[in-house]
Amino acid sequence: MAHSLTLGFAQLTDCAPLAVAKERGAFAAHGLDVTLKRFVSWAAMRDALGTGAIDGAHMLSPMVVASAAGIGPFPGEFTTAFTLNLNGNAITVSTGLYEVMAQMAPETVSRRPLSAYALKRVIDHRKEDGKAALTFAHVYPHSMHALELRYWLAAAGIDPMRDLNLVVVPPSLMVDALAAGQIDGYCVGEPWNNAAVVAGIGRTLITSGEIWSNGPEKVLGVRQDWAEQNKEWHLKLIAALSETCAWLDDMDNRLTAAQIISTPDYVNAPFDEVVGSLTGKNRQTGGELRIDMPDFNVFHRYAANFPWRSHAKWILSQMIRWGEAPDDVDANAIAKLAFRPDIYCEAVEPLGIACPSSDEKVEGAHPHTWLLSDATEPVAMGADQFMDQRIFDPTNIDGYISGFSIRDQRSRLGALDTSQITHLAK
Amino acid sequence: MTSPSEGQEVEAVSAKGAVTPTAPLNVLLIDEDPDRARQVEEGLVANAVVHTATQIHGRVLLDLIARISPDVIIMDCNSPDRDTIESLRLVAQSNPKPIVMFVEEEGGGGMQEAIDAGVSAYVIDGLTPKRVQPLINTAIARFRHMDGLRNELKKTKDDLAARKVIERAKGMLMQHHGMTEEQAFSSIRTMSQQQGKPIKEVAENILTIVGMLAGNPAPDTI
Repeated sequence: MAHSLTLGFAQLTDCAPLAVAKERGAFAAHGLDVTLKRFVSWAAMRDALGTGAIDGAHMLSPMVVASAAGIGPFPGEFTTAFTLNLNGNAITVSTGLYEVMAQMAPETVSRRPLSAYALKRVIDHRKEDGKAALTFAHVYPHSMHALELRYWLAAAGIDPMRDLNLVVVPPSLMVDALAAGQIDGYCVGEPWNNAAVVAGIGRTLITSGEIWSNGPEKVLGVRQDWAEQNKEWHLKLIAALSETCAWLDDMDNRLTAAQIISTPDYVNAPFDEVVGSLTGKNRQTGGELRIDMPDFNVFHRYAANFPWRSHAKWILSQMIRWGEAPDDVDANAIAKLAFRPDIYCEAVEPLGIACPSSDEKVEGAHPHTWLLSDATEPVAMGADQFMDQRIFDPTNIDGYISGFSIRDQRSRLGALDTSQITHLAK
Repeated sequence: MTSPSEGQEVEAVSAKGAVTPTAPLNVLLIDEDPDRARQVEEGLVANAVVHTATQIHGRVLLDLIARISPDVIIMDCNSPDRDTIESLRLVAQSNPKPIVMFVEEEGGGGMQEAIDAGVSAYVIDGLTPKRVQPLINTAIARFRHMDGLRNELKKTKDDLAARKVIERAKGMLMQHHGMTEEQAFSSIRTMSQQQGKPIKEVAENILTIVGMLAGNPAPDTI
């Protein structure tokens, strides 16, 4: 008798591990009868998980970190032991805005990866001319999209809290909002960047893998208490997903996967729109270039499914940077609660999958592929660099955050009051 | 499904009359389902101004909210606009709005837990026009209660933080200017009165300035 589980998912290309595991029988092979339930809002999926209406969720990695840090509903209640995929997002702007950028700063627009310096020039000009601020969108306050978009903007000296408006728009409505001129650009997953490019209304400027190579995107989110009480099923779920992710990483299988997820039950979009975002073939980046990016979606290689606590800490560092988490949070405790590499290893070691020996690593130190030898077996790893070549040392989060000149200043001292210097100097 | 007994409990709370708005309620209804929207409008029309938003999302929806400044937002729990509304709550922490959500599906009973867990929402099942107004009143009452608790907690935390800063500023003055504890505090209080600034702000400035004069870099955080 198979054990019944319900998992939530969003209408995005990277629901592929869940959809494929179900359709190809991987869940069933592990004794699981899985029902997949589609959600159109992250908040609704979060509430469904928190209240026990579903057992697990295709979740934004920062949602789990936010919960562990006590931010928002269900504080401390979520955790993950499985990263579903790396990379997969991109930043797209309206064709009109791209043209102005190219005209004002042709030299920066021709450089790769495309920085936001050209956008900064446009914003400065608009300020001088007294024009309204530009509006950019992402999909949820606690998402890699929000962090990646702000990282890219701030790396070029654009303060995302002052220099433009940031709004939340559901992924499936991004393209319409861009076409209608309600927003000037966005950071979203696929197929919603490709859709704007194909329709001729937008240009994709940079992919998330160029902002931070192989950062974690979605995770299998579960409740802490569920993980404790259903350990046997949790391990089987991870095993089924691990096998499916390995299958998905074989490029020959991506066409089959695209056929599965394009159906009405899943992404419900034409095969032609979905396939490019899954294979990484003929992708636009840099506003005009079209290239093959085999790492646009990484499902398994590079120890992709291992929930690195340094990933959780980087996410937390950005939440502190933008004033979403207090400065004095205990990063070690939060990363421990949010990401569970111990459970992951327990689940996959019987499958003969190598496990890193350390729970965290320095992020940003590898511009190219490298070999992780500190593991049960050496693992070929992908690059992990940031677009601005910063190094993230997970043991020195304060030092890392203080290195950013653009960050939330709310918790810091305001401007000095010099009148008191004379008073005190008496 | 919410059981009938839970529904009655909900109405009983509102019968205590925790909220008796004097001006007509300004309601924003976000709903793609015209039949349900009509029911809500019927139930509210006597006491409320209802703005109905259909096919409006993202920035346009936020602009609409800024313009009409609703007293309450009513929406479907599974609307794609939920994430946009959540972002509004994060950004506008100082001016949150009560949100009423409809759940019309199995497992909806679990949503009560969501509310208890701090999801600022109120759930209605089995909608009839007659039930709409009292339920919304209840939602607002519940929201104000939660919001009051949150504010109280925040004030307590702020007070505690202020006390710490003042203690440190006193310590600085005692150490660097040879004052007694009493002199230090009265000096801070005098500055606060002269400058018309809160004591905490004066203490923060002292920490920075004394630190600078002593050759230490300004403290990073307070």
